[in-house]
Amino acid sequence: MSDQTDVLQGTLDLLIMRTIALEPLHGWAIAQRIQQISDDLLRVRQGSLYPALHRLEHQGWITAGWGASENNRRARFYALTKAGRKQLETEVAKWERLSAGVNLVLQRT
Amino acid sequence: MRAWHIVRSRLRSLFFRGGRESDLNEELQFHLERETERLQASGLSREDARLQALRLFGGVEQIKEASRDARGTAAVDALSRDTRYAVRRLLRDWRFTSAAVLTLGLAIGANTAIFSVVNAVLFRDSPFAEPDRLVNIYQNDLGGKPLVVVSYDAYREMAQYTDIFAAAMAATIPFPARYLHEGGIRSGTAEYATATYLDVLGLRPSLGRWFESTEERPGAPLVAVLGYQTWTRVFRADPSVLGRIVRIEGAPVTIVGIGPANYRGTLDVGLATDFWMPVTAIRELNAMPWMRAGPTIIAPFFVKARLREGVTVAQAKAAMDVLAPRLAAALPEEVRGGGEFAVGTGITLVATTDVRIHPQADAPFMAIASGLLVVVGLVLAIACSNLATLLLVRGAARTKEISMRLALGATRRQIVRHLLTESLLLSLAGGIAGCILAWWTLRVLQGVELPVTVDLAVDYRVLAFAMALSLITGVAFGLAPALKATKIDLLPALRDEGVLPIDHRRLTLKNALIVVQVAVSVLLLGVTSIFLQQLAEARERRVGYAVDGVAMLETDPRFAGHPAAAVANMSDELLRRIAAVPGVESAALSYGLPMESAAVATVVEGASETRSSGDVSMVWAGPGFFETLRIPLLHGRVFDARDRPGTPSVAVVTETMARRYFGTVDAVGRRFRNDNQPNAWMEVIGVVRDTGARSLSAGDVIARQPSQFYRSYTQSGLVPTTVVARTSGNAAALLGAMQRELRAVDVTLPVITAQTMAQDLERSQVAPKVVATFLSALGGLGLVLASIGLHAVVAFAVARRSREIGIRMALGAASQQVVWSVARGVAGLIGVGTSIGLVLTILIMLALRATSGSADIGIGNLDVYRPNIDPVALLAIAVVTAVVGVAAAFVPARRAARMDPLVALRHE
Repeated sequence: MSDQTDVLQGTLDLLIMRTIALEPLHGWAIAQRIQQISDDLLRVRQGSLYPALHRLEHQGWITAGWGASENNRRARFYALTKAGRKQLETEVAKWERLSAGVNLVLQRT
Repeated sequence: MRAWHIVRSRLRSLFFRGGRESDLNEELQFHLERETERLQASGLSREDARLQALRLFGGVEQIKEASRDARGTAAVDALSRDTRYAVRRLLRDWRFTSAAVLTLGLAIGANTAIFSVVNAVLFRDSPFAEPDRLVNIYQNDLGGKPLVVVSYDAYREMAQYTDIFAAAMAATIPFPARYLHEGGIRSGTAEYATATYLDVLGLRPSLGRWFESTEERPGAPLVAVLGYQTWTRVFRADPSVLGRIVRIEGAPVTIVGIGPANYRGTLDVGLATDFWMPVTAIRELNAMPWMRAGPTIIAPFFVKARLREGVTVAQAKAAMDVLAPRLAAALPEEVRGGGEFAVGTGITLVATTDVRIHPQADAPFMAIASGLLVVVGLVLAIACSNLATLLLVRGAARTKEISMRLALGATRRQIVRHLLTESLLLSLAGGIAGCILAWWTLRVLQGVELPVTVDLAVDYRVLAFAMALSLITGVAFGLAPALKATKIDLLPALRDEGVLPIDHRRLTLKNALIVVQVAVSVLLLGVTSIFLQQLAEARERRVGYAVDGVAMLETDPRFAGHPAAAVANMSDELLRRIAAVPGVESAALSYGLPMESAAVATVVEGASETRSSGDVSMVWAGPGFFETLRIPLLHGRVFDARDRPGTPSVAVVTETMARRYFGTVDAVGRRFRNDNQPNAWMEVIGVVRDTGARSLSAGDVIARQPSQFYRSYTQSGLVPTTVVARTSGNAAALLGAMQRELRAVDVTLPVITAQTMAQDLERSQVAPKVVATFLSALGGLGLVLASIGLHAVVAFAVARRSREIGIRMALGAASQQVVWSVARGVAGLIGVGTSIGLVLTILIMLALRATSGSADIGIGNLDVYRPNIDPVALLAIAVVTAVVGVAAAFVPARRAARMDPLVALRHE
């Protein structure tokens, strides 16, 4: 149980950081973006999105600030920090190794 | 860097929690709206879209909670939530809360107050510099035990060992010293000390200076150092007191310095010395003529010396052993052979750090202090066990609530945390209540009018002690029931079937505690009854002299600065004027207050043995004294105009002294002398009936003091200070007239005391009254605690047996039967406890009766009261205890009996 959530959580962090690496986004937009880019294969549960955002912010990898949304309302935008960028690189590298490994196992057995 | 970020974020979230909360709300709100819009765009109606969005979103509160958790503020949030929850629960169960806070507060308060007193007397840190190089030196008494150094010359001999001692000092025991302050006369104490005093101790005056060695010479202007405590309390810490002239014992004395702030005097037993004066000043200020004459100053001295670097205590001892025989050979006649401060040959030298008050007094003082601490410790133990019982009862009553919360997903840790928060809050409240109570108690104690400055304060150590106690109590007794309460088998508890197995060992311990509580309360009440008995007896005792209609006016002409010759005429004129006041039947002069006696050692002519000092006491009287106080004369005559300074010394003795010392009531013509006045024989000229005395050694109680003798001030060279007058009318009204006459004689004469004999007797019983009040307060406290404990135990039993009670009542048991079945065990506990307490009380009474009526506490004799065993008082105590205990048990038992059987069966 707990292992699975850990993996999922780690993956969600990675996806969030990757999504806002291009431009600062608010929470709803991050969820939408992940869904769109993954061709609706991945769905982000709001129940885990916001805790993840707050955790990342608390850890100093992303920062938050208030700004105007696409429909001109006050929304909370998240952007990657310098430390976050470094963290993203290591996370991506880690993920690539992991998925490559998993793929190999799946293909060769 | 990252750590700093986390710290900052945490701090921010702590301090701007409100802002964070609204941010989070707004953010989630925005998300919901955006989602609703998206769904609306895909063709849903506004309402459907909103519902769909909410559904997708999940629980808003859970998300908030999880987000807060992610932020790391969870612990703080939980703490404040737990605290709020605990406060709510405690307020709802206000009965339990007030019982627990009261229990803890009383116990902690009593402990803190007692600890403060004991602390003030015994456990102070040594304020001296390099205390391990300081030694105390005593001359030994006839029994070879350390006593005091008896003369200034003996000290000088000791101080001459400069190869051993870097420096030495001496100071007398505190002497009573009255002084004029703001128009009134105040009682104080003075030590007559050497110029080296403060240097030897390694202390510095907090203001001004200590006196110089030149000021120690005879004839030097009188100077004094004011005690720091007196300076702050009486002189309001006014620095201009330096250089001011204060009249001490009538003589003008210049204040040159203020003593060290952390030092209270040579005899550091909670009393603060008011003045230090050069050793020679004792000759000018002490009214006793023999103090003024003589080649050396004979007074009880405490001597301390600072060892030279590298000199050991053993080396110093050896040096003093060499000195001892030489000193013994040169011993003044006055301190040879017998009496209160009679010494033998030996010298005792001990390290100052090994002595608390005096080598002979330390053990009894420590015993008394430890006894006190044990008593209040018992009270605290009882209080803690009560709190534990209360918490346990509560835990048992909340079993169902706890299992419900466990079932709803609360973790064991959360529940323990809740319960722990509650008990910590409880003990904190108890600790605060205790501190307030202790502070108040000390203020009351401080308010008791005492003739000396007593230094009592709740200091930081005492405060820490109380807070630590309350915290330890909270954790220890909060955690145990909390852990126990959560160790629940979920299902049976929820179904409310399995009554928890009763832990017999634990209940037995609790029963034993209740028995001890009851026994201790009974014991305290019993000891209180002894004191009350003593008070009542002192009140009823035939004092042996006139009380009604007697008024006394005490003055001291020395404070007006009159020469001795003029003063004698003044008192005679005052006596004449007062005797002429209408209604006055008789008036007389005396030195000091009538019946104010001093213990003396005496030698009877022809007998070799010296009587010990406790045996007989001396009272100053004069012509007209016995007539005014209506003390009947049995044989011979009383003082009259024949007895003048030049004529042979005469004395009047009481019948008991006559019988004991001379073997016959008619002792007229026999001779005896004070032990310390070798050649001053006194001839017995009369025998009077026994009277009670105001004896200072017995805490100023009207003591049985049948062995007394009277001397006349007319032969002593003393200036009479007091006019005693008896009126046929109102004594209180006479006081006004007497003071008018005093002003008419000389307006500068101060009034030291003006009171009726009845007031004087009443006042002399302040000390035993304080003790009786204190003891009955402790006894009452014990009883209150015991009844809280009983109440808790019975409530506990009822809570556990409610199903059983319900079944029995459903089967037709009468409510009396239920009450009885609950109360039976309690009655047994009260019975056993009361019996033990009564037996202990009677044992103490028997032990007191077995004493001789006086006990040696090392530095003097203490009168011991020998009580009668009063069955009525003992019965009254037993009844009070039983009534209070049964009442405490009755409340929950009644509740059990009133329970609706159906409710009891369902039990919540």
